[in-house]
Parts: sequence; structure tokens; C-alpha cells
Amino acid sequence: MADERPLADVKVVDLMWVVAGPAATRVLADYGATIVRVESARRPDACRTLAPFLTLPPDPEDSVLFHNMNAGKLMLALDLATPEGRAVALDLVRWADVVAESFSPKAMHAWGLDYESLRAVKPDLIMLSTCLMGQSGPLASLAGFGNLAAAITGFTHLCGWPDRPPAGPFGAYTDYIVPRYNAAVVLAALDHRRRTGEGQFIDLAQAEAALHFLAPAALDYTVNGRVQAACGNRDPEAAPHGVYPAAGDDRWIAIAVHDDAQFAALCDVIERPDLATDPRFATRAARLAHQDALDAHVTAWARQRDAHDAERALQARGVPASAVQNSRDLLADPQLAERGHFVRLTHPTRGTTTVEGSRFRLSRTPARMESAAPTLGRDTQYVLRTLLGYSEERIAQLSAAGVLA
Amino acid sequence: MLSPYRVLDLTTERGLLCGQILADLGADVVKVEPPGGSPARCLGPFLGDEPHPDRSLVWWAYNRNKRGITLDLERAEGQAILRRLAERADFLIESDAPGALAGRGLGPADLAAVNPRLIYVSISPFGQTGPKAGYAASDLTVMAASGPLFMAGDADRPPLRLSVPQAFLHASAEAAAAALIALHERHRSGLGQHVDVSAQQAATLATQSGSLAGAVGWIETGRVAGGASVGPITLRFVFPARDGHVSITLIFGASAGRFTRRLMEWVHEEGCCDTATRDKDWDHYFELLFSGQEPFAELDRVKQAVANFTSAKTKAELLAAALARGLLIAPVATVAEVVESEQLAARGYWQAVEHPELGRTFRYPGPFARPSAMRLVYRRRPPLVGEHNREIYAAELGIAESVLARLRTKGVI
Repeated sequence: MADERPLADVKVVDLMWVVAGPAATRVLADYGATIVRVESARRPDACRTLAPFLTLPPDPEDSVLFHNMNAGKLMLALDLATPEGRAVALDLVRWADVVAESFSPKAMHAWGLDYESLRAVKPDLIMLSTCLMGQSGPLASLAGFGNLAAAITGFTHLCGWPDRPPAGPFGAYTDYIVPRYNAAVVLAALDHRRRTGEGQFIDLAQAEAALHFLAPAALDYTVNGRVQAACGNRDPEAAPHGVYPAAGDDRWIAIAVHDDAQFAALCDVIERPDLATDPRFATRAARLAHQDALDAHVTAWARQRDAHDAERALQARGVPASAVQNSRDLLADPQLAERGHFVRLTHPTRGTTTVEGSRFRLSRTPARMESAAPTLGRDTQYVLRTLLGYSEERIAQLSAAGVLA
Repeated sequence: MLSPYRVLDLTTERGLLCGQILADLGADVVKVEPPGGSPARCLGPFLGDEPHPDRSLVWWAYNRNKRGITLDLERAEGQAILRRLAERADFLIESDAPGALAGRGLGPADLAAVNPRLIYVSISPFGQTGPKAGYAASDLTVMAASGPLFMAGDADRPPLRLSVPQAFLHASAEAAAAALIALHERHRSGLGQHVDVSAQQAATLATQSGSLAGAVGWIETGRVAGGASVGPITLRFVFPARDGHVSITLIFGASAGRFTRRLMEWVHEEGCCDTATRDKDWDHYFELLFSGQEPFAELDRVKQAVANFTSAKTKAELLAAALARGLLIAPVATVAEVVESEQLAARGYWQAVEHPELGRTFRYPGPFARPSAMRLVYRRRPPLVGEHNREIYAAELGIAESVLARLRTKGVI
């Protein structure tokens, strides 16, 4: 039966790696696109050295991050830095609707795989180039991972305690923002091509896209001249607003009280109705002015409670609250279970692995996760023979020349 | 690129970015607000720190390229007008509590009856269904529920969020991509559908798959301020500079090892480590640590040598060396440094957006991408409250002036 998923007619050559690129094509794969990732053993995806792992010490096929970013894709092992490899890449481009790459700007030119060269063989090609700082400018060649983009765009500086050096958000933060922009602009380009027949080149600087997640702070500077600073877990609009210790080791509950009704409910739940009538806490402005005192009261209550029990007690009265969930909590979360967030897949060599499901639902044409992320070179034969129509001899020649590795 | 399409944006601050991404891509996005304006207009900071519905910088940040109308969806007359607008729309985006719009006869099924081609996008904290669908939520609590919070901050302090709210931006950006997948499908089937985006699920992406540790029996990701843990190994990314901090991707392996080798060569050149430290096997250093051949204390010594080295240099010196030597180093920039950056200036990133009502022009963050077929242009500043009521109600829907006047008097628009 034909694949009824929305993107079943979309073909993508994925020359990206780590997270910012592959997370975007993962979404397209969930919704039916055929994604051919190209990876060479000479330059394996750095994802393969990043946790979580299935085993310790980890093997390159054991990275669950790699599994999660690449489920449902095909994998062609190909060395792009050889003339024979380039010829195969050009055939793939003829087959594809979209080529997406995330190398630093010179690499594709060096291999003769820049947009002009690719357009010569595929005039209506859509090509996405997504690197840290964009294809031009004095920092164009700055190589790096999302932790560097997070630093240079201001995220790292805006996550920390006022009395400490910047902590930064977890990991390579811009890598978790950019995939949506990558996917959206490629889908818009496909729509444009459908109507006009016209392909195009898209330069997406990860720093420039990610900055939209700091747009209010950027405007506060360009408009008001104010340089925002990290303020722990405080919020200018809500108090109490923080993460409080719960019973147990490294257990916490997050609570955010935005208005008078939520504050009254909080006072009931923490069995301190007297606080609701205390003039120091009578209005939001008053609560913002006396946050330390409020935090002490909330902490005294939370310390004695299981984080999830506290969450339920506060939510029962409409107070925004959540246990600070670790991955075991996520696995046990009835909400994520209802949403089908965790998907077990058979792994080609490791039995099973687990990936995340789609982060959204389409009511008529849902996502399907059918195959685990490919091992290095898993689909080389299929891609060359079935998708590109290569003969056995041609494949053998390429293999003998060491190009398919 | 999306100029043929009309979007009705009913969202609160929880969904504004979705419509803006579509608007930047060229769609005709109509922001539908309650009479008096969206509650998002009450969010600071404000121009000149003066609270005013047309001066919220959160509003400015996420509503350019949209037109704006006011409409009371609590009233039957307002609901009827929305149905008429939905007849000719391609997308509707909303971020109300799950079921709230359906309760007013404006849910996905109601509007599909009016326009089966409509793509109806719902953005909510936990999704439209499930035991937490009705939870009260805030940026902090969604980040707590989805995992990234647990992993961020100092080991000796509570988990830490970014000081600029993020959770609903993750959901809204995800929603834009999701909406366009539904559009692609519509070309085949001729039908719209309901797109249901969960902020909790969207934000789990920010765990870098640490969300899966429990499912596969891996160690929880511990909090390391300015760094990360890989199982038992603690990595450090934030290092002191003479005038602030820098971020260095000090990691190892077949792909990253060469960067660390080059960094250690520089550290050695300047006398900050010995030859044996420089010449460690950075391509296989993780394996050496995991197998115990290399004690963790050695990694600590390497990190300290790098910190001693960087603390004598400025952020600019370290960035220049990153370019010249091919190192993975970037400054930990303040917002001011970001806005004044040479790179963004050279790329013409910041866009001058004129606010004629204020007689001033302000610099906005620029296009998120540069597609060659159609530049993403900033056609309109964010709308004032009800700015396009006449244009849309009278000129497009053909509602008579007398009727409009009555609706205005009754507070429907």
C-alpha cells in the first residue's frame, strides 16, 4: 500500500550532522519523506560520541542521541572528498528535491558541491545550507557546535545566578531551536517550487534563527538600551516563582504564581492561609518586593513533600506547578504515555532502542516511526541500486575504490 | 514564499511566534485579539518602561508582518464573524486552554464544517488530550515537566531556567513546521486537519535526548554549570577570559579530537601545559577515560590548564584565534555584544522597523533565513490594537459601515 503520510513524495539528501540539521530531517522522516543521510567513516557524525548510550564503554552504534535524531532515515556511506564520491553525490542530487548540508561554508565548494554546481545538474533543486554563523561575514568560517552558538548569541549569559559565572542552558542550546526553522523554510520552499517550478538556495545561520528566542531581550537593548542579565529562576511578572527542594535526593518542584487567585490557592495548599491576608503579599507588586520571605515559606512546605504529590496538590487548585522531571520521571509520566512520546524500535544490531515520537499530532495523517536509525552504511546497496539504479559492477567498482566507506 | 495563504492567529503569548514565522515566510497573517487588545500586550519590558498595549516589547518581538483586528469571541456575533473569516482562511492558530474554543462553537470540527480545507493548529502546554491537558502552566513549569530544567544549572543549587521564557517558543516554532507539513498534505487530499502541538514534548528536544536515558537504562544527566556530564565524565565548556567568559567545545573523538589537539598545541606553545599533556590521544580520549586507562583527575588537570590559559586572554583574542587556528571557541556574549556584533552587522541582520505612530525607527532581529527566491522582508511593524478592523471587516468581508458602528458600540470589535 502506498505511504499515505503527508511527505511521502519528498526526497531529501541529508549531508547534515549532530542535532540542528538531523533533528529537522527526522521530523520530515516521521511524516513520510525519504531521507538519505550521507556519512563517511572518515568523518563520523559527532553524535555517535554523545550520550545517552546503550552500553558502556560505548560503541559508535550505541548513541541513543544518534538513534533519536536519525530514526526512519536511510544511510549511504560515501566519501565526498573523492571524485568518484562527488559523482555519486551528483546522481543523488538529480534524484532529490532537497539537499541540506551543515558544513562550514568552504567545504561544499572544496568538494565541487556548491549550489551552482548542484543546480547545473538539477535546476529546480532546493538547497539548505545551515551553519553556525551563515555563509558570509567575518565569522562565517567559525566552526562549531551549538554550545558556541548559544554563547555567541547571548543564551549562555542569560542563564545563571546573579552571584555566579554564567551556567548556560543545558548542552548545545541553539541546536534545539534551529531544527524547526530548518524544517519550516524547506517546507515553504517546496510549496514555492510547487507553484512556480523554481528551486532556490537557502542560507540559514543558526545564530540568526536562534536569536528570535531572545527577541524581547534584544529589543530591550535596541529600544531601551538595557542589557538584560541572568536572574536565577526569578521572573519580573510572577512571585513566588522558583524551583524548590522537595523530599528526597535531588528532587525539586517548580512553582509559578502569576496572580492573586493563584496566590490564594497556594496559601491554602501550603496551609498558610494567613499569608493570603498578609499585606506584604497582598498584590503581585508586593509579592515581587518580598520574594525572599515568600520563598522561605514555600520551601518549608515543599521540603516535606514528594515532588509529584506537591504538583498534584497545587494543580488541583489551579496553581502552575510541576515536579522537575528527570528522564525516569518522563518515562513514567502518564501525559507523555498518552501522547505516545516514547517509541521502541528494533535496532539492527542492538536488539531494541527507544526514540521520541512526534512532538505534535496531525489528526488525519499521523507520524509513523517504523525503522531505527541506520548503522553506518546500512543502506548503501539499497540507495545505489534501487534509488539510483546503479549496476552491480558500478557498485563493486566504487566499493573497490574505497568510496563507499 | 507563502504569500497565497491566509492565517488567522488567535494565539496568546503562548503561540505568537508560530504566526510570525509564517508571516515572515510571506503569509497574510491576521492577528485576532479580544477588544482592548491581547493580554500579551501587557507583558514587559515596554518601550521606555511605560506599560502601554502598543509598547510591549514581547508584542513587538512576535507580531511583525501581521495585520491586527479585534473581535470578541465570547459573543455570538463575534463567533459568527470568526466563522466567516475561517471560510477564506488556510490556517487558524490558537493557544487557548484545550477545548475552550470548541466550547464557543469554534473548535476544529466546527470550523472544518465551515471550511474543510482549514488547517487548525492548537498550541498548548501538554497537548489537547491526556491527564495533564488541563494543567495550569507557565514557562518554568513546562520546562520542569519536559526535562531540560533538571539538567541545567549548578550542582549545588536548584535546577535553572533561561531568564528569557522559552517553552512556548519551542512549541510555537514546532507548530510552524507542523502546519506546513499539513499544508503539503492538503495539496494531495484537498483537506485540512487538526495539528495538536504539546509544549512539553517540544521542549524535550532541549534535553539533547537525555530524555531517553531512563528508557535505555543510561545514567541521569547531572547538572554541570557551564559544562555537561557524559556518564561519569564531567565536561567543561565555559572558561574564564580576562574580560568575561568564553565557551569552548572541549570534547573528544574521531570528529572533535582534532579541534582539541589544535587547542592544546596553542596552550603548549604559550607554556601552559607540558608536551605529554598536549600529545594525549584526543581522538580516543573518551575511550581512555571510560576504560579507566586515563584517570578522571587527568581530565580535571587538562581543564584547569585550559582555564589558566584562557583567563589571561580577552574574548576577542580567543575568538580571533578560533578563526585563525580552527578552534571551537566563542565568546559568552551579553545582549549588547550580540547586537553590536560585527558579524551580524556585516550580514545586515538587524532590520530598521519604522513605528510611524511614535515617529521613531527601531532595530529588530532580522530574518531567520535567507532564501534566494524570496527575501524575508519586514513589511509591517506589529499592529496597533484593532489597526486593521476597517480594512478587513469593511473592505474584505463587506460588512456595512452602519453594522460595524453597531458592533463597535456593543464592544464586539
